[in-house]
Amino acid sequence: MEIINFSSVLLHNRLSCPAVQLHLRRHRFGRPRPPAQKQQPQQHHLLSTTTSLNYPNSSFTFPGLRRHPSALGSNTSMDTDDMYDDLFKKYGKVVFTRNDQKPAIQEIEDDAESLSFAVAAAKVASEVKAGDIKVLFVKPLVYWTRFFIIATAFSRPQIDAIGTKIRDMAEKQFGKVAAGDSKPNSWTLLDFGDVVVHIFLPQQRDFYNLEEFYGNATQIDLPFER
Amino acid sequence: MIQPQTHLNVADNSGARELMCIRIIGASNRRYAHIGDVIVAVIKEAVPNMPLKRSEVVRAVIVRTRKELKRENGMIIRYDDNAAVVIDQEGNPKGTRIFGAIARELRQLNFTKIVSLAPEVL
Repeated sequence: MEIINFSSVLLHNRLSCPAVQLHLRRHRFGRPRPPAQKQQPQQHHLLSTTTSLNYPNSSFTFPGLRRHPSALGSNTSMDTDDMYDDLFKKYGKVVFTRNDQKPAIQEIEDDAESLSFAVAAAKVASEVKAGDIKVLFVKPLVYWTRFFIIATAFSRPQIDAIGTKIRDMAEKQFGKVAAGDSKPNSWTLLDFGDVVVHIFLPQQRDFYNLEEFYGNATQIDLPFER
Repeated sequence: MIQPQTHLNVADNSGARELMCIRIIGASNRRYAHIGDVIVAVIKEAVPNMPLKRSEVVRAVIVRTRKELKRENGMIIRYDDNAAVVIDQEGNPKGTRIFGAIARELRQLNFTKIVSLAPEVL
C-alpha cells in the first residue's frame, strides 16, 4: 500500500509509462507549464525516481542542461517538455512497468475493433441526420478511452433519436451497453468504454468546444461523408 | 469528508471561486460527502463579470478531497485541497474547462463529461 499526495500522483502515474506520459502532457495542452513545475529540483526528483539516470556530476546538475543552455533560466518560456524528452531518451531507462499491459498485437486488434464500432456509430448518427460528425482518435492523449465521436443534433427529439439508434446498434451488433445519460440532454454523452459519443445541441457544441480541447487528436475520415 | 459549512475551491472556469457546502444530496441524514458526490453549495466568492454571482445556490460535484480516496488495488490518493465542479440540474458542467487532476472514479459515477473536460485523469 502506498500513500500518494497530489504532487506525487503525477509521479506515480508516470511510473507506468514515463515516455508516453511526458509525450501526453506536451501534446495535450500546447502551452508552457506553470513555473512551479519547471523548477529544476522537483523535476530532478521526478525523473530520478521514475528512471535511473547516470550522473557524472553532483546531484543537482543535469548532464543534459549544458547542451541546452537556453532552456534553463534565461528563457523559461521554451518548451521544457521537449528538453525532458531528450534527456529521457539519452539517460533515462524504464525501471518499472505495470504488469497488466497488453501485448502490442492485442492492442492493435482492440483499436481496430473500437474503430469499426466508432465508424458504425458515426454512420448511424449520419443516418439520423446528425450534423458535423467527427470521429477523433484520442488514445494518444487520454488513457481512459480510444475514440470520441462528436456530433451535433438540432433538437432534443433528434438527440433522443440518435442516442436510441446508437444504443440499439451497439447492443445488437457489438453487444455493448452504454453508460452515461439515459435521458436526452443538451449535451448527451454515451459511454461505451472504448468509444465515447458526445451529442450536442449547436449552442452547447460551441460553448464546450471539445474539438478544440482535443485539437491534437487525429481525425478519422468517414467513408460515408463524401 | 465534506460536510455542511465546508469551504471548497472551484476547479472549473464557471466564474465561482469558492463554495460553501450547505447540503449533501443522496440521503436524508448523510454526514459526509466524498469524491463523486453531489452537494448543494453557496457561492462565497466569485470572479467579477461572470454569470455566477456571490451568494447564489448551485449544485456541485466534488472532484478532489484532502481525505484519502482508497482504491481496490491498495492505491490511496490524497489531494492538497477540497475542490468541486459546478453543475446544472441536468448534470452538465457550468464551466467549459476543468483545472487540475481528477480521479477516474468520476467516470464510474457517470460524470464522464467532467472527465472528458479534465486535463489529467488519475
